[in-house]
Amino acid sequence: MCFKNLPVEFDAQGNAHLKGGVVDPFAYKPREIKRDKLEELLARNGHIKDVSISPVTRVAGALSFHAVADLQARKFLDANSIATIFRGYEVILKGRDPRDAIYISSRACGVCGGVHSTAACEAIEMAFGISPPPLGTVLRNLALALDFLYDHPLHLFLLAGPDYSQVVVQATSPAMWEKAQLTEAPNAEVHQFKTIGDIMKGLNPLSGKLYLDGLKMTRTPREAYSVLFGKYPHPQTVVPGGMSSTVTITDFNETYTRLQKMIDWTKRMILLWDDLTGFFYEYNPEYKKVGARAANMIDLGMWDDENSYDASYARCNEWGERRWATPGAVIDGQLVTTKLQQINLGLEEFVEHSYYEDWNQNGKQRYMTDPMGAPLSPNHPWNKETLPKPSKESWKDRYTWDTAPRWDRQVVEAGCYARIWTTAAAGLMPKNDFMEATGHSLKFHMPKTMLREMNFEWKIPPVWNAFERNRARAYCMGYNLMIAYTMVLKAFDLLRRGEDKVSTKFEVPMGERIGVGFWGAGRGYLSHHLVLDKGAIVNYQIVTPSTFNASPKDPFGNPGPYEEAVLNTPILEDFDKHSDFTGVDMLRAIRSFDPCMPCTTHIYGGEREIVREVNTCACSAEG
Amino acid sequence: MMVLVSGIGYSNMSDMSFGRVLYGKMAEMSWPPHVHVEDLNFGPVMIYQWLEEYPVKFDRLILVGAAKRGREPGMLEVYAWDGRMPDEAGIQACVGEAITGVISLENLLIVCKQFGVLPEDVTIIEIEPQNEEYGLEFSPVVAARVGEAIELVKSEAMRARCR
Repeated sequence: MCFKNLPVEFDAQGNAHLKGGVVDPFAYKPREIKRDKLEELLARNGHIKDVSISPVTRVAGALSFHAVADLQARKFLDANSIATIFRGYEVILKGRDPRDAIYISSRACGVCGGVHSTAACEAIEMAFGISPPPLGTVLRNLALALDFLYDHPLHLFLLAGPDYSQVVVQATSPAMWEKAQLTEAPNAEVHQFKTIGDIMKGLNPLSGKLYLDGLKMTRTPREAYSVLFGKYPHPQTVVPGGMSSTVTITDFNETYTRLQKMIDWTKRMILLWDDLTGFFYEYNPEYKKVGARAANMIDLGMWDDENSYDASYARCNEWGERRWATPGAVIDGQLVTTKLQQINLGLEEFVEHSYYEDWNQNGKQRYMTDPMGAPLSPNHPWNKETLPKPSKESWKDRYTWDTAPRWDRQVVEAGCYARIWTTAAAGLMPKNDFMEATGHSLKFHMPKTMLREMNFEWKIPPVWNAFERNRARAYCMGYNLMIAYTMVLKAFDLLRRGEDKVSTKFEVPMGERIGVGFWGAGRGYLSHHLVLDKGAIVNYQIVTPSTFNASPKDPFGNPGPYEEAVLNTPILEDFDKHSDFTGVDMLRAIRSFDPCMPCTTHIYGGEREIVREVNTCACSAEG
Repeated sequence: MMVLVSGIGYSNMSDMSFGRVLYGKMAEMSWPPHVHVEDLNFGPVMIYQWLEEYPVKFDRLILVGAAKRGREPGMLEVYAWDGRMPDEAGIQACVGEAITGVISLENLLIVCKQFGVLPEDVTIIEIEPQNEEYGLEFSPVVAARVGEAIELVKSEAMRARCR
């Protein structure tokens, strides 16, 4: 039984139905947030501080964070994650031709537009009843593995990496910096950084070798992506039923060459994050609590099997489990389902603490069941409507433009780490030459280039925290690279067999249709839920990884993942005076999720488009 | 002397797209051999990498854009960028924004200067917007200055040659 909280059960054939005897099955009573004691403590104690970070820097888009810190007890008492700008894509897309969703939703992100295009296409394909030919699917898989080969280093070395750099560690924990300089890096022979101190120096922003190499390395996958998709990050070549790119063996050769360039660098990078993580754990085991929370995660899987994916909802469990990344929900570290239908049924969005109106007030529920007849919550995206309602910020009431998506009314996080976790735990990965999901780990083999051939194994960790998120992301580089490698080989094989068709013809249906794109971004889970009628979009709902991760408290009183991770984070940095407190441990916790807010908020953040005084730059003042 | 010309801004943002739209117009015009018109709206980090590898080294950069600075809407200004950089945290913030998709004149200048690819001589041709909301058209006061702005670019590009 995959649901603990929702009133839905499954019979022996896997058909879902409502539990008997429940009068109003999806009803709930929102819990009031009580802050009286906290307010009293804030007023009374000098060591209990309101900490507001706005914006949280090294995050794409508009994220602010508010916390209450007890600087004497060295812990956080309250946390609020705030998406400061309205997203609005759902509103923009209403009434448009469904194909517009491919190009408009792509603009949700300046890093990973292609994932939105693809999710939109999969939603459309389900609604239209079409699917791509094999090479079309392989092409999509390849391009979106390349996308993540850009995304992950960007996070590891340019956004989160500086939190572990010499400049930050030396300033916030001088004793650790001393120790780091004297600690030999266990994998120095491969990555060529002799000590942990050298790794930390490498991570120094703007000047460190790892930072600069990371910046440089973002170019290679982007080039390959552009060869196949035409341009980055907003491709115009992802179309319902496949791709519109004209691809030849030369394009795949060019891609293959670029993948070769990334192999050695990826080997080094994985071992480097292993070394860094090990050092922090050994220096002070309390670091295992930074960003810690129960291993509750969600992922929709991605990278379709070209012979299984038919875009139908009726067969989504089958083609979903044939994906190269297996869909799954993980609760308390245990994989509770790999079925896309169950993952979809468990999804609800709540807005009690968000600047939106409850769409259920009119009492009309659009869909009582999913297309297979399984009960659907009124809070499910197919039933949701986006009704913005700006109001005053209040920690007890509403404080963010993000909603609170929950699965089975539990707080789950999304990330590439959820993808590797569900894939490893499920053990369903298609048979191939490079990767193996064992049920408790993901093994992959990386071929010899300048460095020797090497085998890696990402193991499901016993603790879940900021360091494990980053470590898993580094391993995901290897996982993505070998997916890309496998897809190039598949493309060569298809071309050899003369299967060079990349798209399927279609007509826009005029009747009422629904669809969902179950896909993934570099940061994890991505769904686009679509309702069509008369050839136009009636409802469009996007749930992104940061919609989950940056979510506010839910009506059941549970904080969102960033909030919970911060509440569990001990304050480990050194400071003599309260004014010296930097909040680095909290920032490590938040940034480990790879926060990316443009898709959670709106692409147009007013002030960001207006250039600041270029002759008297005020970056630092705002930064 | 080699001159690089472009216009910076997002698409479809009414007056804020002034640079982007002018780039499109300028790209279709004929220019003397020492002037190269290029789309520089694909992200500051990618542009710095492109400039680093491009076989031609440019002596001068002329950029067209829009910025809200409290002037009379439609006012067109030409000035030389003074090259002042923020502190390291500010530069890192610009790199962070650049790699996550922000397209702005300021980020482009700071990122390119930080990584040593910005030409010595940078001229900005900038308009004060009236309408900053989503829109496919310029407001009348901004639309009226399009021809003049292009003439300014031409004149600046030729001035570069006379030096």
